[in-house]
Amino acid sequence: MADRLVSVGIDVGTTTTQVVFSHIMVEDLSSGFTVPRIEIVDKRIVYRGQIHFTPLLDDDAIDLAGVARIVEREYAQAGVAKDQLDTGAVVITGQTARRRNASEVLHHLSDYAGDFVVAVAGPRQEAVIAGRGAGADVYSKVHGSTAGNYDIGGGTSNFALFDQGRLAAASCLDIGGRLVQVDPATRRITAVVDKTARLAQFVGLDLAVGQPADLARLERLAEAMADLLAMSLGLLPKSAFYPQILTEPGRDVVLPRPLKNLSFSGGVADHVYAPPDGGDPFRYGDIGVLLGQAVRRSPALAQVHRFAAAETIRATVVGAGSHTVELSGSTIEYDADQLPLKSLPILKLSVAETANGALTAEAIQNKLDWFQVDGQRPAVAIAFAGPRSPSFAQAQDLAAGLLAGARDLLAAGHPLVVITENDLAKILGQSIRSRLPGRSGLVCVDAVRVEEGDYVDIGTPTAQGRVLPVVVKTLLFA
Amino acid sequence: MFSEPDVRQLVTAVLAELLAEDKAAPSAAVAPDAVLVEDGQVPDVTAVSTKDEFHVPNPANREAYLDVKQKTVARLGVWRAGPRYNTWSMLHFRADHATAQDAVFSDVDDAYVQAQGFVAGQTVCQSKDEFLTRPDLGRRLNDETKERFARELPRGAKVTLMVGDGLSSSAQVNVPDLLPAIKQGLAGLGISLGPVPYVKYCRVGAMDELGALIDSEVVCLLIGERPGLATGESMSAYMAYRPDPDKPESWRTVVSNIYSGGTGPAEAGAHIATLLKRILDEKVSGVGLVL
Repeated sequence: MADRLVSVGIDVGTTTTQVVFSHIMVEDLSSGFTVPRIEIVDKRIVYRGQIHFTPLLDDDAIDLAGVARIVEREYAQAGVAKDQLDTGAVVITGQTARRRNASEVLHHLSDYAGDFVVAVAGPRQEAVIAGRGAGADVYSKVHGSTAGNYDIGGGTSNFALFDQGRLAAASCLDIGGRLVQVDPATRRITAVVDKTARLAQFVGLDLAVGQPADLARLERLAEAMADLLAMSLGLLPKSAFYPQILTEPGRDVVLPRPLKNLSFSGGVADHVYAPPDGGDPFRYGDIGVLLGQAVRRSPALAQVHRFAAAETIRATVVGAGSHTVELSGSTIEYDADQLPLKSLPILKLSVAETANGALTAEAIQNKLDWFQVDGQRPAVAIAFAGPRSPSFAQAQDLAAGLLAGARDLLAAGHPLVVITENDLAKILGQSIRSRLPGRSGLVCVDAVRVEEGDYVDIGTPTAQGRVLPVVVKTLLFA
Repeated sequence: MFSEPDVRQLVTAVLAELLAEDKAAPSAAVAPDAVLVEDGQVPDVTAVSTKDEFHVPNPANREAYLDVKQKTVARLGVWRAGPRYNTWSMLHFRADHATAQDAVFSDVDDAYVQAQGFVAGQTVCQSKDEFLTRPDLGRRLNDETKERFARELPRGAKVTLMVGDGLSSSAQVNVPDLLPAIKQGLAGLGISLGPVPYVKYCRVGAMDELGALIDSEVVCLLIGERPGLATGESMSAYMAYRPDPDKPESWRTVVSNIYSGGTGPAEAGAHIATLLKRILDEKVSGVGLVL
């Protein structure tokens, strides 16, 4: 029997704001003679909103009321009420994420959008969301190979690499179509972002606000941008300027395996895939068209097999709506009254730290202090791989260690939230429960992989209460 | 076509030739003192899982193939010599088959049954051979066992856990993790358990007779599965609400594939505990229990 999760994706990008609704189909794939195996079997986009310009108040603030009006209109157009939503994500991307009220807007929007809609941000998470929305993960899985996606938006270019369907790398460059703005009427340059001005200077171009938009000069700038994209993928030797273009200093693109296939998404991508149409290159008021054409022409980028992205301009919003939620394992243990849990930071334990109960307790106690803020203990989720097929005694030992380690956490009134990779949440959860003092809450899930520095949202049960929807996200706002 | 006399003549000629070669052989044999004895061991073919053995020469995409292999115990990518298996595949196949044979034909150690504190009994089968050839007899408890179970097991229990050898004695390896996990899970749900009956030469149907005998509301039988070539250790848990020999097979709920390489026994036990609670609450089992 298939269950359906209704999901929303909202992307507030450098240039555009978009909304999509999708249905995520969930089904038990087990034979009925084994333990259940509930998985996402299909994702369907049921409503694609219009592409709106992101409303801005002045140079440095997002118009929250304006964005809220767009979202409200799209909800009405789609005929979806907020209480019908099971999951979803709001993502603020590119340059917009660096505006002074970005964090405020993001959290307002995620509350406004529905109870279970999570707020997501961070350049690398954007890359992953866009890469999944573009279908690079599926492409790599189907072709048993590696596939990367470059989402080239207005303010940033986010790269994600997938290897046989699994995420292998993600990073972000400050390259985008709207970093130079041109007034289509006067054909004069109206805005140049600082870093882009420095890039222009580095490649010997004189570029300033107020200048007439010189096509040859801006084409040369677009080519320099395309070259930087190629450098990030190891297709050109890195220039002296290259380290500066990284959105997160020192976070260079690392390719653990050779890149075999490459797709492009984002607003610029349509001009990568389609030949020039003869229209005014400045019709969008920026250099997006020129950047797309420069990427299209780039001999360096042409060295990698190019495939068509499943989504181009909508890749990020589709990724946010359809590909951020995953399901826990199907044999888990939880108190429903503790759910949903939002934005829990991850306390990650290594294999060595969880070798036995005593070590586990010690490691948790040591690490819990990291999360302390002004003497307060916030709720955290304790995560580790866990043994494959643990013995009963091992589960008892681990349960005792977890409880001993989390004593202060429970004393502060927080639930015990445990996340493992291997299939042991049911026995571990029941073992914890048999020792749990009083009325403390417990949420113990498996088949979820998280890392130190991640945050996790755990939704309300689905599929007759057998699984929990989980969203793993990277840092909100630093 | 050859006529029969022709064939006979041909065979005789060939045999004569072979015999002549045989007689000539000793002269070519190696002298005894030239036999080399090494201290080394013949490598254990089963030491490497079939999931990790890969013999396709020059694969187009090794990683993708290995990725697929991790998802199945099927013998993929073992390669061949002409139309036949390679030596490695053949030996591995035979080793796995031997494991399956051992699981079926060996007996569960009486000392283990005692150490576990089971209340031991037996079906009307007198021997392994009878058990294997007469499935009907493996579903009926012998008189002595019926008497003992009626005497030593509580009547009208909410849940009775029962253990049987079934078609794999090796599957008992799961019980020390499976049983306490079910007990702990049930205890958490407020259900306690009495002594555990053990039945030798046990088929699944024996649980029906036991259930009717002691009027247990739910019976859960942990029994060895007929082994395949993947493992000899797989166990199943069959569950039924008010089991009765007159009820159909479809009345039973089952969780199969319980072993370290499938659903781990401790995790499976925790799951089975919640299933048993649902069966008790809904007073239905088998296909009637909508999962």
